Amino acid sequence: MINVWESVDAATEARNFAAVWGLDGTVLLDETGEYAAQLGIHGVPTNVFVDANGVVRTMGATRPDELNTAVDALLRQS
Amino acid sequence: MPGGVCGVDLAHRVLAHISVGRGPEAVVVDAAARRAFVACSRSNTVVAVDLDRRRTAWRSPVGREPIPVIFDLPTRRLFTADARTDTVTVVDADSGTRLAQVPVGVYPAGLGHHPGLRRVFSGDTAAGTVTALDADHMRVIGIVPAELGAGSIAVDISRDRGYCANFMSASVTVFDAATLRPLDRIAVPEGPCKVVVDPVSDRLYVAGSLHGTIARISLRTGENLGELAVERAPVGMCVSPDGRWLYVCNRGAGTVSVLDTLRGTESHRIAVGNGPGDCALDPVTGRLLVSNAGSGTLTIVDRPWLPGPSARALHPMVGRSLPEFALPDLRTGRIRTTREWAEKKYVINFFASW
Repeated sequence: MINVWESVDAATEARNFAAVWGLDGTVLLDETGEYAAQLGIHGVPTNVFVDANGVVRTMGATRPDELNTAVDALLRQS
Repeated sequence: MPGGVCGVDLAHRVLAHISVGRGPEAVVVDAAARRAFVACSRSNTVVAVDLDRRRTAWRSPVGREPIPVIFDLPTRRLFTADARTDTVTVVDADSGTRLAQVPVGVYPAGLGHHPGLRRVFSGDTAAGTVTALDADHMRVIGIVPAELGAGSIAVDISRDRGYCANFMSASVTVFDAATLRPLDRIAVPEGPCKVVVDPVSDRLYVAGSLHGTIARISLRTGENLGELAVERAPVGMCVSPDGRWLYVCNRGAGTVSVLDTLRGTESHRIAVGNGPGDCALDPVTGRLLVSNAGSGTLTIVDRPWLPGPSARALHPMVGRSLPEFALPDLRTGRIRTTREWAEKKYVINFFASW
């Protein structure tokens, strides 16, 4: 997960958010939003699906049905 | 005619992105004074913007993390709900002077307004209540039980009814705005984030942020009249005075969906700033004002009901290599790079705590 656009005290805000919602995975900080801008991301939440070749396969996909479809498609790719 | 001197521009146009502060979440308009007021959640301020000059007129400190803001015309007062100080702050709209700070329930994240009854309502998210305040005397006059995640509140002033969206309970609490009695519970799709009353069509619109839909509820019967799909994470809305256009802020996409309420379809989308939180219309110019929490701006859109350039069906990054990153790990501080995930399939979730 990558935290972006917190504006103030990103580490504390992201840590509290992760604790409240029980997020145990890797959380990185993009405090300036520079990396999000490189990807052309304009909103949160946004999911980016990356294949084993490092190619972006899907962007967005946050609704449960979209998420399932995108994960299935990513897993099917060889 | 060559040159098209008689041509008519039939597209909406983004006129400005005005920097207003950190985390602007909501906006309200004082049409007569030509001012917009923006609640900046991470600056802990409410900011007045001169709509003609497109610049900040004043900033006033309020409580911590103000999310909604409303304008009470009879007293010319602004009310913000400050989520992290559990207060409603009252500010003079002309001078920016802070007039009062009233304790309400835990984590107030939404406000409603009934000018006729002289009442302001705060949706207290963690308490699951609605606190009613006397707008003139700036004091609490009662509490209505709602549900966990109580936030956005809309008021049907013709029936003296309030509607509170309960984000974590997938419901809307209906209450009597005069007697403060709860009247009904309406089940809605998960993650209701914003409610808006349209007196023209006699409908309540409910933004379902988790499924990307807008539910249409009959104010007369409470019946769900169906849902309209929008883009990712709709969290803010406003409706045109004639009821024809519903503007929906898609937090997850950086866009506003423009819904044609007569046809029951999405007409077009407008690209605004990052993480748009809410919007309001300037009744004098018809322009749409959008507060963008991610980019710290207020976007002004001229003739927002008109389509504009078509958006690409696919995001431009799809099919391209992910740019390399080198970002600090929240827990260890260690710099993590794209190389660690090489030759793996993975999903990156971009998020903010707001």
